[in-house]
Amino acid sequence: MVAEFLTIAEAARLIEKKELSPVELVESRLDRIGKYNDRLHAFIRLTADEARAAAKAAETEIAAGKYRGPLHGIPIGLKDIYETVGVPTTGHSKVMQDHVPKADGFAVARLKAAGAISLGKLATHEFAFGGPSFDLPWPPARNPWDTSRFTGGSSSGTGASVAAGLVLGGTGSDTGGSIRGPAAYCGLAGIKPTYGLISRAGILPLAFSLDHAGPMAWTAEDCAIMLQAMAGHDPADPASANRAIPDYRAALNGDVKGLRIGLIRHFYTTDNEASAATRDAIDAAAKTYQGLGCSVREITVSPLAEWAACGVTMMLSEAYAIHQENLRKRFTDYGEIFRDRMALAGLIGAGDYIQAVRRRRELVDELDRAMADLDLVMTAAAPSEAPKIDEVGKFATMERPSLTIAFNVTGSPAMSVCCGHTGDDLPLSFQIVGKRFHDATVLRAAHAYEQATPYRGKRPTL
Amino acid sequence: MTRAELDAAMVRLGLQVPPAEREEIWAAAHYIDNMAALLRKPRPVGAEPLHTPAFPEE
Repeated sequence: MVAEFLTIAEAARLIEKKELSPVELVESRLDRIGKYNDRLHAFIRLTADEARAAAKAAETEIAAGKYRGPLHGIPIGLKDIYETVGVPTTGHSKVMQDHVPKADGFAVARLKAAGAISLGKLATHEFAFGGPSFDLPWPPARNPWDTSRFTGGSSSGTGASVAAGLVLGGTGSDTGGSIRGPAAYCGLAGIKPTYGLISRAGILPLAFSLDHAGPMAWTAEDCAIMLQAMAGHDPADPASANRAIPDYRAALNGDVKGLRIGLIRHFYTTDNEASAATRDAIDAAAKTYQGLGCSVREITVSPLAEWAACGVTMMLSEAYAIHQENLRKRFTDYGEIFRDRMALAGLIGAGDYIQAVRRRRELVDELDRAMADLDLVMTAAAPSEAPKIDEVGKFATMERPSLTIAFNVTGSPAMSVCCGHTGDDLPLSFQIVGKRFHDATVLRAAHAYEQATPYRGKRPTL
Repeated sequence: MTRAELDAAMVRLGLQVPPAEREEIWAAAHYIDNMAALLRKPRPVGAEPLHTPAFPEE
């Protein structure tokens, strides 16, 4: 009998020792999906037959001594903007509901080469932006901690499926917070890596200069395992970094003593006031880091609204350009949330877009200067626990300044880490951010925190 | 932005926005204006945007 919940690392140990077969593991997840997906709507398309075949092939390979590594035989889910050969990749939209890619995107190909087994395509906000929407071909995903609540988005299905143990890890994308938001609301670990670390090729774009691909899983260690497979140079992505990829998993166990953390408290106390529970949980997390031997001092940067204005103006403008033709030709084939956000986006003038990109250079320099004598910064990932799904406004991305888009603006690695639960058992989180290409330091800090606290032991009751 | 200006903008953009949604979009247009106001800071004429292109070298 396979455990209800397993991390990638736990399953990998069992698989490598041949104490667990990928066939058993995949079947156990398909059973869970059969039991819970009707309530959670995490998957919009299952590829069960292909998964079973891949599991059998993995079992045979492993029995023959050809173990590929910690993702071999591990069931994952793919956000339905990740192009997957032969499988409709729809962006959760009527506009692309018949789009069947002829090839896997880079990150998908890398995960498959590492032996990961996709169970299917996961719900997303429409084109990674318009949600939670109830007028799309598939319903929005629901939060396993309380199905009346929002998963966060746009990697909504990934958040739900990992939290509920339907998969052991999943792919997300993050243009303004779409990995970190659902990771926060669903109590996961989710990292938006450094811009360019994971190829964007074969992932439906939202905003070229802000899109980041990344893993979502239960722990920082699992994120490190997935990132190891996904990262790497891809000439097909003009922004793809061409540098050596460190061993992220090996780096987890380095000492965090002496790490210098800057706490951007004003982001979540005055600029976008977080709930008392969130503020208290982050304060406690900062003390945990001090207890681990890190130094934590408060720092001040430009107000959150400035970062949000920069990031959101660019995001809207770039997304509008991508969808411009289809918006003209088939406006009402898009869901109402996406299309109305795009209508607003069309009001942004070219001059203001360029001002945003000029501001971007200023803000990148500002954060680099602020971090000159720091290793990490820390702030909130979300202003509260998950709200009710029907209380998320159409223009929610603009109603309050985003806590996450600042680090898309700067291309910095940024991770959401669960730091407790409310009295209603809803996850709380903080965000840890590193210097560009210091993703290993971010993961190490998150891992150390997880090891020092009990929160990875609490799962939703379904 | 007046309602008439919004309607004109939607025509210019070629977007077939249903009337009920136009009201909501109009009510939200201030978000765009607010962000623009924050971005339109005085800057030196030569202040470069972040993605000034760097062409591949031979």
